Amino acid sequence: MERLSKLKQFILSDHRYVLLGTSVVAAIGIWFSMQKRSAMSFLRGAYALEVVMYWILIAWLAISAVALVWKLTHWEGDAYQRTSPFTKPAAKRILRYGSYVVWAITAVLFVDRAVMGFLSIVSQSLAQDKNPSDFLSSIVYMLDKSYDIIGRGILTTVGLSVFGTLIAFFLAILLVFIRIQEVDRCDNDFVRFCKRFGCEFAKAYSTIVRGTPMMVQAMLIYFAGFGVLRNSGMSVSEIGRVWSTFVAGLVTISLNSTAYMMEVLRGGIEAVDPGQNEAARSLGLSQWQAMIKVVFPQGIKNAIPALSNELVVNIKDSSVLSVIGVFDLMFATKTVVGIYFKQIELYVVAAFCYLCLTMVASWLLGKFAKHLSVEPQPLMSVSDATTTVGTVAGTGSSEYSLDKKKARK
Amino acid sequence: MADTVATEPLIRVENLRKSFGSHLVLKDIDFAVNPGEVVTIIGASGSGKSTLLRCMNLLETPDSGHIWFHGEDLAADRVNINRLRERIGMVFQSFNLFANKNVLDNCTLAPITLKKMGKDEAERVARKNLEAVGLSEFVNAPATSLSGGQKQRVAIARALCMKPDLMLFDEPTSALDPEIVGEVLNVMRDLAAEGMTMVVVTHEMAFAKNVSDKVVFMDQGVIAEQGDPQQMFTNPQLPRTREFLSRYLED
Repeated sequence: MERLSKLKQFILSDHRYVLLGTSVVAAIGIWFSMQKRSAMSFLRGAYALEVVMYWILIAWLAISAVALVWKLTHWEGDAYQRTSPFTKPAAKRILRYGSYVVWAITAVLFVDRAVMGFLSIVSQSLAQDKNPSDFLSSIVYMLDKSYDIIGRGILTTVGLSVFGTLIAFFLAILLVFIRIQEVDRCDNDFVRFCKRFGCEFAKAYSTIVRGTPMMVQAMLIYFAGFGVLRNSGMSVSEIGRVWSTFVAGLVTISLNSTAYMMEVLRGGIEAVDPGQNEAARSLGLSQWQAMIKVVFPQGIKNAIPALSNELVVNIKDSSVLSVIGVFDLMFATKTVVGIYFKQIELYVVAAFCYLCLTMVASWLLGKFAKHLSVEPQPLMSVSDATTTVGTVAGTGSSEYSLDKKKARK
Repeated sequence: MADTVATEPLIRVENLRKSFGSHLVLKDIDFAVNPGEVVTIIGASGSGKSTLLRCMNLLETPDSGHIWFHGEDLAADRVNINRLRERIGMVFQSFNLFANKNVLDNCTLAPITLKKMGKDEAERVARKNLEAVGLSEFVNAPATSLSGGQKQRVAIARALCMKPDLMLFDEPTSALDPEIVGEVLNVMRDLAAEGMTMVVVTHEMAFAKNVSDKVVFMDQGVIAEQGDPQQMFTNPQLPRTREFLSRYLED
């Protein structure tokens, strides 16, 4: 709503920099006008109209130049404001209407040259039966012929990273829980052993997984699983059904991300004030209960911004899983490259797809994080919050309580 | 209060020793609190008074010695400290309200979890205690939205919800603005009047003098002097105590 009223004000009020700002727009319009017309250009048949539009833009630049010269020659004090014909209210309003015309002309030229030009390239390259040599046409041609491959790749990448991150999140919560256990006085020997062992296991897991490349992990996991199933007497086609490259890739990305997420969670949990744990323990809660009810909820909330970043990382890092033959976006792109031998064009497309995916993911996660950090507030009713917190704070409330106590006694 | 003194102390500290690294903080402390008694521990910063208090519910683990409470030694290895802590309430200098919960949930968390109390019953007890500290209209406010004095009063109510036999106060007013100190001290005074056994580490000498049954003066890890407040504040025996209390002795 506020944004809308700002936009309205921007359009409807007289601006100091209307000449300068609109000159840039006019220059862009002139540049478009000088470009070659494409086959689908609708100004093709209206040559006279375009000449008129062109000269209007030139006229705007000329007026701006006059105003600029005037300004430079009347630099001292408020000389420009007093003498220039451009600063009179009527002139300012005319300039504003003039700027609408310039914007409209540039918009028409933009649609004619850029949009229609792109559409004509698309339609032409779709009609080709051979890969065109032109960069843009070639991309359109190849995408048209192999959109199913690229699409399948994108779906696999999204599936791998979303499910991988979710699985990793739950595994990481489990693992960090084991990791931060400390031996308590009242634990018996068995519990002590389990806590020590669990903690060391989590440390070792984190070190190994974070210290080796995911590409190597993918290879190891895929071929280890394959070997185990082969030894159990399954045929290769049977194994392919159970232990597909996608499943192996999902396992790899989950196990890999678990280690990173565990460290992020640990950071979030260690950032919780130790007094929170002490208070819970002083009431008699066990270490476990204090963790679950008090420390963990706060720690996870601390870690959410960094955790959501892990999804973005996984979208990109899932590309290395193509080495075991997971049909992700990277593998799909390589496949199409193998058909057409157009490396630059296709890898630009892949980069663009990854960029779109990560941008959408971080936008969604940003909204999600905001939603989470706002949510704990509505526990109290709105009226409660404003009246009680606002008015009866500090000493005022103590007087109130004393009065009540006197009444009680 | 003094007239309710029983023969058996509620909590008795024997030869308690605690060090942080090579620094010996508590040197063979012996000290007991009778049921219904209010004991204030005073002393300079670094004299070990907070450490002594924190040892009494084992937030600090003592190196050696005994802490007898209800016939069990808290300092013994592998004692079920959680069960015993349920009967010892603690109030911290920095309040330590659970930041992820509102006022009511702060108070009901432990009773529901540990005493297997129903939610309604726990909330009834919590509301009663919150009313006693004058915060009944804040039950649904998030803990983080309160002022310091309000937070500390919630912390007292939270501890009371476990119906403890003993309350430990670790400098409960040191983090508060001077004009807010009064509201917390009033609550503590009411609590003392109701007969709660309390151990209070404090710098509020007026409170020590007027409310407590016994004053313990600690200096460099030992109990230098202890006695009833009248005697301590009018005629302390040791020069060190006299020096520490000099500002309060004049009036």
